[in-house]
Amino acid sequence: MEQAITLARGPLFALAFGIMVLGLARLVLLQVYELAVGKGRRLQNAPWRKIMGETITWALPFKHFIKGTLLFSSASFAMHIGLILVPLFLADHVAMWERQFGVNLPSMGRGMADVLTLLTLFCLLVLLGFRFLSWRHRAVSTPTDYWLLVALIVPFASGFLATHPGLNPFRWEVVMLVHLLSANLLLVLVPFTKLAHVVLFAFDRISEIHWQLRPGAGDRVANALFGSEAKV
Amino acid sequence: MAKSNRLLKDVLWILALWGLVAGGFRLWFGLGATTNLTDAVPWGLWKILNMIAGVALSTSGFTVGFLVYVLRRKRFLPLMRMAILVAFLGYGCSCLALLFDIGLPHRFWHPFVMWNEHSFLFEVFWCVILYFTVTTIEVVPTILERTRAERIGKFLHGIAFGVVVFGISLSSLHHSSLGSLFLVTPERLHELWYSELLPVFFILSAMGGGMMVLVLLRILVARWYDPEPIFGATPAPVEGAESTVPGFPTLNRNVRGAGREMPMLANLATISAFILGGYFVLKVVDLVRTGAWQFLAGHGWPGPLYAVELLGGVLLPVVLVACRPVRRSPLGLGVAAFCAAAGLALNRLNVGIFGYWPGAETTYVPSLAEWSVGLGVIAAAGLAFLVVVENFAILERKNQPVGAGVFRAAFDAFSHVYRNALNSGLHRVSLIAVIMLPLAWVAMHPSYRDVTGGGRPVQPSQGVDVARAVLRIDGDRTGLSVDFNHADHQRRLGGDQACVTCHHLAVPGDKTTPCSRCHRDMVDPTGIFDHRHHLTAVAAKAGGHGALAGNGTCTECHQEGAARSAVLVKDCRSCHEKDGWPALAGADPTVDLAVATSFQTAMHAVCVECHKNEAVRVAKPGLGDCGACHADLRRREDSLFAVVAPSRD
Repeated sequence: MEQAITLARGPLFALAFGIMVLGLARLVLLQVYELAVGKGRRLQNAPWRKIMGETITWALPFKHFIKGTLLFSSASFAMHIGLILVPLFLADHVAMWERQFGVNLPSMGRGMADVLTLLTLFCLLVLLGFRFLSWRHRAVSTPTDYWLLVALIVPFASGFLATHPGLNPFRWEVVMLVHLLSANLLLVLVPFTKLAHVVLFAFDRISEIHWQLRPGAGDRVANALFGSEAKV
Repeated sequence: MAKSNRLLKDVLWILALWGLVAGGFRLWFGLGATTNLTDAVPWGLWKILNMIAGVALSTSGFTVGFLVYVLRRKRFLPLMRMAILVAFLGYGCSCLALLFDIGLPHRFWHPFVMWNEHSFLFEVFWCVILYFTVTTIEVVPTILERTRAERIGKFLHGIAFGVVVFGISLSSLHHSSLGSLFLVTPERLHELWYSELLPVFFILSAMGGGMMVLVLLRILVARWYDPEPIFGATPAPVEGAESTVPGFPTLNRNVRGAGREMPMLANLATISAFILGGYFVLKVVDLVRTGAWQFLAGHGWPGPLYAVELLGGVLLPVVLVACRPVRRSPLGLGVAAFCAAAGLALNRLNVGIFGYWPGAETTYVPSLAEWSVGLGVIAAAGLAFLVVVENFAILERKNQPVGAGVFRAAFDAFSHVYRNALNSGLHRVSLIAVIMLPLAWVAMHPSYRDVTGGGRPVQPSQGVDVARAVLRIDGDRTGLSVDFNHADHQRRLGGDQACVTCHHLAVPGDKTTPCSRCHRDMVDPTGIFDHRHHLTAVAAKAGGHGALAGNGTCTECHQEGAARSAVLVKDCRSCHEKDGWPALAGADPTVDLAVATSFQTAMHAVCVECHKNEAVRVAKPGLGDCGACHADLRRREDSLFAVVAPSRD
């Protein structure tokens, strides 16, 4: 068990992290290449200022706050805070970054990490609940949307249990191994699933189709097509 | 992109990328850290496989050049460009592998200015470098043909004849020199391979085998890209037959014309077979002359290896080529050519590795990095070969790469399908790179070797104060230490009577054995039962004597007549009563007294359980956290946001 943990936090982590970094770099390079070769000249006339502005403003939650998506959007935004900060700045993770790469990051306190982790877990459960319970969300969900949320929940839940031996009903080694393996799996999944939006969100707006989209556009289109009683 | 060799390309990319990482590690960490080469075994896989075998396999440039330019056999002219390409890539491959092999790669130029004219290797170096230059000059016109610098190409083409003749003389020199290298080691090279005729054997086999490599490659290229010249015209549609796929007529696969290049290939193979036949006869005569034939049935694998090399790799292709129907079918000729090429490679491996190292009384198994670089360089050469074949005119039709005609239908300027074709290749290769580079990194980086196999030995704890009241426990000295107040714990748990709360065992005769004496590895369990010591100690006690006195004392511990295993042994405590601690009362001696858990497990087990209970009892949840003991983590946890100084020295 101890050996498996050492293996998972040493070579397996390096492998997963390497695949994630190279995979994301590949996506960016292919995206740039395809834009340069495929769009070429047409990009010169693209509204760059608007694209930049929209990329930044859409990353913030305020534009998403329209009727009917308030809870979903806020849960989605709040989840991202812990999702980004805890893996980077939790004290134990800072020690890991230092051991693996020799970088020294500032660390957050245990209390703050706990709050963020619980918030993230809560938001993930809310998002999963939406997928299951709201038929509007279910209609546009694929299997990936469900199991990706589960793949996010597992490392956070096991990590929380591993740092709180008092609350942990299982053996510490087992929980730690689950945490390490699920986190490694998540890293590998990033470049090959829609989690790739960690880098690709910057390219979302460089597309003529996106420039036409407005908040609530789907509803308006549905309304125009099927009348006001249309539900999707 | 041709689908028929897509899998091959994928495999070549995997090998090449893996080799790239291995090559980087070899340059960064040095030969000692990445290879299994030693002072006794300084010539490993790279020299034998890439250099000696690789050079031999790419002889076709010189042999076909000799046939075309000196003997004026113009029918082989269509093969000339491919022969030169093979020679160029083969020699480039050897030079690249050699660059990884020499101790200080940045001093590769030393033989240019520091001449050692007594060395065969000095001659080999000059020949290989010059011949590589020659093949470069010969290849460049083919490449330049499709660029604007065509005039340079034309000039180079003009001097081709002189260059080819120069190259031929160089080749005949260094192939025999490579054989001569092994003449200086009669004590080491196995009798089956050692002979004064080695230089002759080397050049003969290289000439014969090299031509067969070219035959094999020509057939493979036809198979992948343009089957017509070798496999014959595409079968005609069957009149009136019903089509299984709409829009595609059913073809009559029984009627196929012979390929127009087959007679030429068969002719080349025949020439090669004559050379190989002569080589075979000479080998047999030499075997009888030196009396080495008696080693054929000798102990070990040199005999079988020699037989496979000579019968499967020389005689079999000669017989196959001599058979008229085999010679005329692309498949039969391909098999014969493959046998000859493999036999040639096996011969060089036999002379350089299998027949060589038994004499050194050592075993040499190339390391993963050696295999990776060796095969990676070959894979890279294979990819370069495919790139040139697909994009430049190396077959008979001038200015027309084989790839262009085959897939023209897919390249549609209006629908931009070509971009997808290009991208799919790019997507595929980059995906392979994304997976393979980290995998190769983790598999071969020296820092991960310890974690996966080597073990991490434990260092004893240090005393923070003079009385060792506070101990710094840092088993693998990585800085994630625990300052353990031993005196304080002892006081809290009840003074001198409390030792057994944590300590469970001591070495016999010792009262204060530190944990690290038995729990000797950070992550691996350690065997702690010293059988040899027990043999001598029990023998001394039981009054045994003589050199092997211990042999008579087995039954002191093992049952008479029963299997002498660790399970059927008497309880250790029956002798070690006074050494055992009360905490061990219910222990299983064959497990708990024979194997110590890893240091990490032992430390965590002894501290964490107690701390967790205490955390509940005194209602201090922090007592059960990692930071309660690991001060390094505590510092980070104390403040909300703090930049923590590096803990390394």
